[in-house]
Amino acid sequence: MTIPAGYAGNVLTIHLDNQEANILPIDKFWDDYRINPRLWLGGDGVITKILWEDFSTAIEPFSSENEIIIATGPWTATAAPQSGRAMLGCIDPKTGGFGSGSFGWFFPSMLKYAGYDIVIVKGKAEKPIYVFIDDRKVVFKDASHIWGKVTGETVRMIREELEERYEGEIRVLSTSVAGEHLVKYSPPCADGTSCPGRSGAGAVMGSKNLKAIAVRGTGEISLHDPRGLLDSSYRAVKTFVENEPMIKLWREHGATTSLGTALDWPISGAMLVENRKEADFPHLKNVGCLDCPNPCYHWLQIKDGKHSGLRHLGGHMTFLTVCLRNLGIQEFGEWIHYERLLQELGLDPASFSMAFSWAVDCFEKGILTLDDTDGMVLKRGNAELICELARKIAYREGKLGNLLADGVAEASQKIGKGSEAIAPHVKGKEYIQRDVKIQALMWSLGALTSPRGGDWLRHHNVWELAFMAEKRDTYPKFIGKTCAEVYQESLNLLDMPEELKKKIFGESQKVNMEWVRDTKGKALFSVWTENLVALFNSLVTCMFGSATMFLMVGFGPSTYSEILNKITGWNTTYDELMKIGERVFNLQRLFNYRLKGWDYRNDTFADKRAYEPAQVGIFKGKVVPWNEVLKEYYSIRGWSERGLPTKEKLRELQMEDLANGLEL
Amino acid sequence: MSEEKVLVFDPHYCTGCMYCVTACSTYNNGATSLSRSRIHIVRHEAHAITKMEDEDDLIFDMISCQQCDQPYCLHLCPSLAVERNGDTGALMVNHDKCVGCRMCMVGCPFGAILYDLNRKQVVKCELCGGDPQCVRFCASGALQFVPKNLAHLPKRDRLARKMIQLRSRASEEKSS
Repeated sequence: MTIPAGYAGNVLTIHLDNQEANILPIDKFWDDYRINPRLWLGGDGVITKILWEDFSTAIEPFSSENEIIIATGPWTATAAPQSGRAMLGCIDPKTGGFGSGSFGWFFPSMLKYAGYDIVIVKGKAEKPIYVFIDDRKVVFKDASHIWGKVTGETVRMIREELEERYEGEIRVLSTSVAGEHLVKYSPPCADGTSCPGRSGAGAVMGSKNLKAIAVRGTGEISLHDPRGLLDSSYRAVKTFVENEPMIKLWREHGATTSLGTALDWPISGAMLVENRKEADFPHLKNVGCLDCPNPCYHWLQIKDGKHSGLRHLGGHMTFLTVCLRNLGIQEFGEWIHYERLLQELGLDPASFSMAFSWAVDCFEKGILTLDDTDGMVLKRGNAELICELARKIAYREGKLGNLLADGVAEASQKIGKGSEAIAPHVKGKEYIQRDVKIQALMWSLGALTSPRGGDWLRHHNVWELAFMAEKRDTYPKFIGKTCAEVYQESLNLLDMPEELKKKIFGESQKVNMEWVRDTKGKALFSVWTENLVALFNSLVTCMFGSATMFLMVGFGPSTYSEILNKITGWNTTYDELMKIGERVFNLQRLFNYRLKGWDYRNDTFADKRAYEPAQVGIFKGKVVPWNEVLKEYYSIRGWSERGLPTKEKLRELQMEDLANGLEL
Repeated sequence: MSEEKVLVFDPHYCTGCMYCVTACSTYNNGATSLSRSRIHIVRHEAHAITKMEDEDDLIFDMISCQQCDQPYCLHLCPSLAVERNGDTGALMVNHDKCVGCRMCMVGCPFGAILYDLNRKQVVKCELCGGDPQCVRFCASGALQFVPKNLAHLPKRDRLARKMIQLRSRASEEKSS
């Protein structure tokens, strides 16, 4: 097979046991792993396929058998918009099933410029080491003097040690103290900036004694039609920027702009951000990954208060949502300090905050006592206490630090006493809602069906959320249109076939509160969104420019196929690309079934409150019909009642051979 | 001669996305790279390399050919390979004449000229024939392509807007 344009052309396998590095041309690798790039692209597609081929039975995630797979895609490092992304996968330490996370900044593109589409790390080093990929040369370096250092210092020390010729030439993906101490939700971090969150891969790196991977790439990526790529990319970006008011609002006011409008995180039905003025970010500017027209990082400086002088690149929604609701931190300087601290320690903000929040609930109910908490009086809103606990968890200090380092699923099993029934997780992984039944239906459904356990980023359909905030003011204030008007316009622009739109939104295609309150069309919309996410995670490009974000007017399959064809010379279509997304999602489901036996029985919230009538929100006074919606969802996916892909479905997706020996 | 335009860069607006760099290499080399682009973004990513308590900054700056009126590259070139384009005002490398001696690189005060290993000649920003791709892809507006005698205007305009904003905020605070 010839290697299509857009691919760097090589796969690097790093064996930590004997400190060997093997470089294999990617076409040979594809043959070995039975990968047709046109069917799997890259990123999550190939990670899923590699995990499928390498792991047919469950393993202990911290054993040397586990692998760390960094996979770029044909989109990465080209002049296509938002091309700075890659996926990082492993067997997830929290769930024992499929694990992966998207990350960006400049490590992924630098890896590709060094000549590699995929890096697989196997085995375990005897002592702490880091690996330096210097174009075709791969060097193993001692890391015992860096072991124990937090994220930023690790990056600085490695860059200095490798004597980069100009600042930012060498890119570093590292694990921090939480990863070293095997905190099960510790992600690695690329250049102290972008983390493949939710994957727990930082802890897998820690278990392998791998402190970091550094890369310098000076090569280039060949393209099928360079100038055509530029024209298509330019048009795509222009359309996106013109139609998406959030880009401008983010630049001017920060991430909370969309929290006030698109996302309501109701505990009591109140607005997430009660005071818009205070919620405005005093950020200096926005900063983005490679080729990003919609930069999501905010460069922040705390001017007064306890953390005066602190600077940070961040201000992300997950941090803010969980800060505000699960931790109860209200003060802006404390938000930013907390975010920076978690990045330095290497803790996943979603899992940490849910672990904290669950511990507070347990403490208040008397399930956890002062003896269990090492004397800490757990309550929300005390930033100092929260940060102290974060440190304890990262270093696995004391009883509570050690308990919460394993996450709520394991912790609740350990302590029992009814704590399991209030543990916010699905399949062993925390989701970020305190109460799923007052969330929007699709958003919570995503947590049930996500291949990496309780999670929202493999679905991320925000359309119901936009209508839940009763007092939203951003649209009228900044755009001069009501929320309904804005979303009606977005529906016209959404890159979805008319027929499908009619099935989801009805013949009239009206988006209003009745549609939001109804369950009709939600399962279908969820399936479409999940397939889209699996698609752009295989290309690999960013969620923030995609049609799952904000008003869903971002890049959809039409744009993806136009640009991908210019990169590779293929003639892919909308349907073909959506099929790829569906294929990847189905194999992830099948992988988890083969490895863990997960089926419909695991598509449940551990938190029993999810199955009680809601007090507020769109299901006020009712029990959310989770099982009915799931049944509809399985049927739309072509899965059996057990929630598993049928042989017919696998045949349709050109992977019927993978069902051999499986009882489906 | 038609109106000469130049690249103008405002670091305050740069988001560091490097689209200028990838667009440049894609357009001029037919392949995307950061290292072989004719425009370069200098990056100082303080947050990635400092301790939490350190105060530092996040800075992006642009290096590319300034299309000087008194170009050292042109004067130093022994083979007369550097020529000024009459339409765009860009200094161009005539690849029929360039001998790869790199004297232009010695002369350039900005380090804006690159040596191309494949060609065994130098390459530099030639303003993409009057439609610089770096400017086309700069979503933040940090890079602009403006007439040389008006190169000061974008910054002035932004400063003026900022001052108007500050004044109105001050009067709002006063009245409240």
